[in-house]
Amino acid sequence: MQLNWTPEERRFREDVREFVSANLPADIRDKVMRHQRLHRDDYIRWHCALDARGWGAPTWPGEFGGTGWNAIERLIFEVECFSAGAPRLLPFGLSMIGPVLMKYGSRAQQERFLPRIVRMQDWWCQGYSEPGSGSDLASLKTRAERDGDHYRVDGQKTWTTLAQYADWMFCLVRTNSEVKQQLGISLLLIDMKSPGVTVRPIKTLDGGCDVNEVWLENVQVPAENLVGEEGKGWTYAKYLLGHERTGIAGLGHCHRELRILKDLAARTQSSSGRPILEDPRMRDRLSRIEVDIMALEMLLLRVAAARGDAPPGPEASVLKIRGSEIQQDLAMLQMEIAGPDAWPYDPDWMEADAPFHGPGAEMTAASGAGYADMRKVSIYGGTTEVQKSIIARMMLGL
Amino acid sequence: MVFEYSEEQQMLADSLRRLMTDNWTMARRRARQGGLDPSAWNALAELGILGLVIDAGHGGFGEPPASLLPVHLELGAGLADEPVIPSCVMAATAIRASGNEEAARRWLPRIACGEAIFSVAYQEPGRRYATEPRDCRLAGLVLDGSKHLVWHAGAAHAWIVSARDAASNEAVLLIVPADAAGVAVTQTNTLDRSRCGRIDFKQVTLSQDHVLARGAAARAALDLALQWGTAALCAHAVGAMARLLDITVDYLKTRKQFGQPLAAFQALQHRMAEMVVAKEMALSMAYVAAAALTEPDARARRRMIAAAKLETARSGRFLSQCAVQLHGGMGMTDELEVGDFFKRLTVVELLLGDSAEQLAALEETA
Repeated sequence: MQLNWTPEERRFREDVREFVSANLPADIRDKVMRHQRLHRDDYIRWHCALDARGWGAPTWPGEFGGTGWNAIERLIFEVECFSAGAPRLLPFGLSMIGPVLMKYGSRAQQERFLPRIVRMQDWWCQGYSEPGSGSDLASLKTRAERDGDHYRVDGQKTWTTLAQYADWMFCLVRTNSEVKQQLGISLLLIDMKSPGVTVRPIKTLDGGCDVNEVWLENVQVPAENLVGEEGKGWTYAKYLLGHERTGIAGLGHCHRELRILKDLAARTQSSSGRPILEDPRMRDRLSRIEVDIMALEMLLLRVAAARGDAPPGPEASVLKIRGSEIQQDLAMLQMEIAGPDAWPYDPDWMEADAPFHGPGAEMTAASGAGYADMRKVSIYGGTTEVQKSIIARMMLGL
Repeated sequence: MVFEYSEEQQMLADSLRRLMTDNWTMARRRARQGGLDPSAWNALAELGILGLVIDAGHGGFGEPPASLLPVHLELGAGLADEPVIPSCVMAATAIRASGNEEAARRWLPRIACGEAIFSVAYQEPGRRYATEPRDCRLAGLVLDGSKHLVWHAGAAHAWIVSARDAASNEAVLLIVPADAAGVAVTQTNTLDRSRCGRIDFKQVTLSQDHVLARGAAARAALDLALQWGTAALCAHAVGAMARLLDITVDYLKTRKQFGQPLAAFQALQHRMAEMVVAKEMALSMAYVAAAALTEPDARARRRMIAAAKLETARSGRFLSQCAVQLHGGMGMTDELEVGDFFKRLTVVELLLGDSAEQLAALEETA
């Protein structure tokens, strides 16, 4: 066993920290640290800065243009980036369709799409959930009928994150209604500019519109955009979901948010006039969350080291459950620190150019919205209830 | 102990429930947002809601403080955003408790019929929930300073403002008309679709009529206003919880996944049961808060109110989180009512003293 960071791992952490410090644009960092809204260009700028260093695909093997880092290095990279206020790398290409194409895609698809993901030339979105198929994803109804060298796709997807910016969608469709549900699903790659694709924003609790409905009306999709085989889409979907769940643990996010919280608590006065950070009750709360994050990190390291490059197993569910709880606790604690100042709110305040007065004002203003928004982490990527069922079934055989 | 509603209380609850169901639907609530709808306000006035706890001698309905419970349970279930609590509960209490009969005669009847809308301005920027005024100073009869987070500040015709007398250094409670020269209101929207405001007083010249109380009387009147407001808010929150519970049960019965209604899943049934427990505990504490208003022992009263606020906020938070979770992705949208209830129950913690304040009050009176 080697339970402490090795000199190589420490050096790697230093390298990443230095790079981010020198190359993360200050305006993007400020938006992230202040919980302000990021826009299309912000994500692209940061990804391109990483790509210039050869780090455009930090979780991919070198063979496909990635950094070839091991699981520990990948974790260090994520934590350091998040801690410094870098926006998360969009998972849809890098963590979702990318690995699926690497494992199940044709050579032509790999050559066409993978380099463009590395260089952030294609923005991907995820066509999975439907109004009638949330937790029960296998019941999805979006139809794809083969017609010569095309598929004709009809249906509706929902909760499609950032589809308004997307160039491509990887889409689960039903190609066969005669067989058991799971066996009639296929995975298609759909050009968002295709005629018949309509994106409509869904307004969420915090007043933002990061998720969308996507209508597909008689959309023509070339047959070569089928990933793997017809009827195997469910297998690919499950493979992808495993990757999604590990990322969602949000370790980097937790590290960063805790730092932000401590800073906020130091700058905010309690009713007694002293900084809230001096309140023993608050110190206890912060200590407990720090313990939680420490445990989450070690769990991630254990799982990462055990799996290596193999796809995530049911332990991803443990990570997702605990990671989402801690993220929600952090958001609530921020609102508590903000106290009465968390009550006034206007969605426009989430924009970087919103007028504020006084230090920390943006943080208190965003804390109520942040708390509301964080309720989603126990819902998306498979609800906590679904994760618990997976644990019961797959880890306990119940 | 008798828990049955009186005839008046039952009638008030029934007619208010009908009014909320018909006229405080989600669509109508949202359409009315941001401003005070006169017909909605009048509907409440006509039912006697606005003058509920103002005595008949001053134009009110003359109900005992306990009647706040059935009434605000219904208002909360309808997620009513009208300034009933700041005006008809808090300001009316401050005026009554001040002992200033002139002010009572001038203002209480107008508050009771809805003609005058008040709010209470006691919080100062950077001082969280502190009630001793420091920033706002009264030099002679000239007021300077700022208040913020004033509930429905923009809708009010006048505010009860706490200030410090520059000469005597004692607390004073003032009635400041919104149209006084030197007054500036900056309104903001709030997380729960309500409105609050910051008020800046710049050399506002008042008259003796505007001084509601001084010294100990001023402090006592403000404390009582906050206690009564808190009791009403607790009932409001519980009403919202009860309605949210019903909404969530309906959703679970309707929404199907895996070939059956979500209501069939035991894990979700248990979660709903937990929500029921939370609501019942909070409702019980709303009763404690109502009882506190007629508790003669000041220390006991303070503890009961603090405890009620603490429990209501915590239960409300838990129940509203569960409701969103049980609605799945739909719970995160702006489209459903769930979000509106969730946000109101979230801000209950932030109004009139957060949990840290309540715990401090319990410690001080231990």
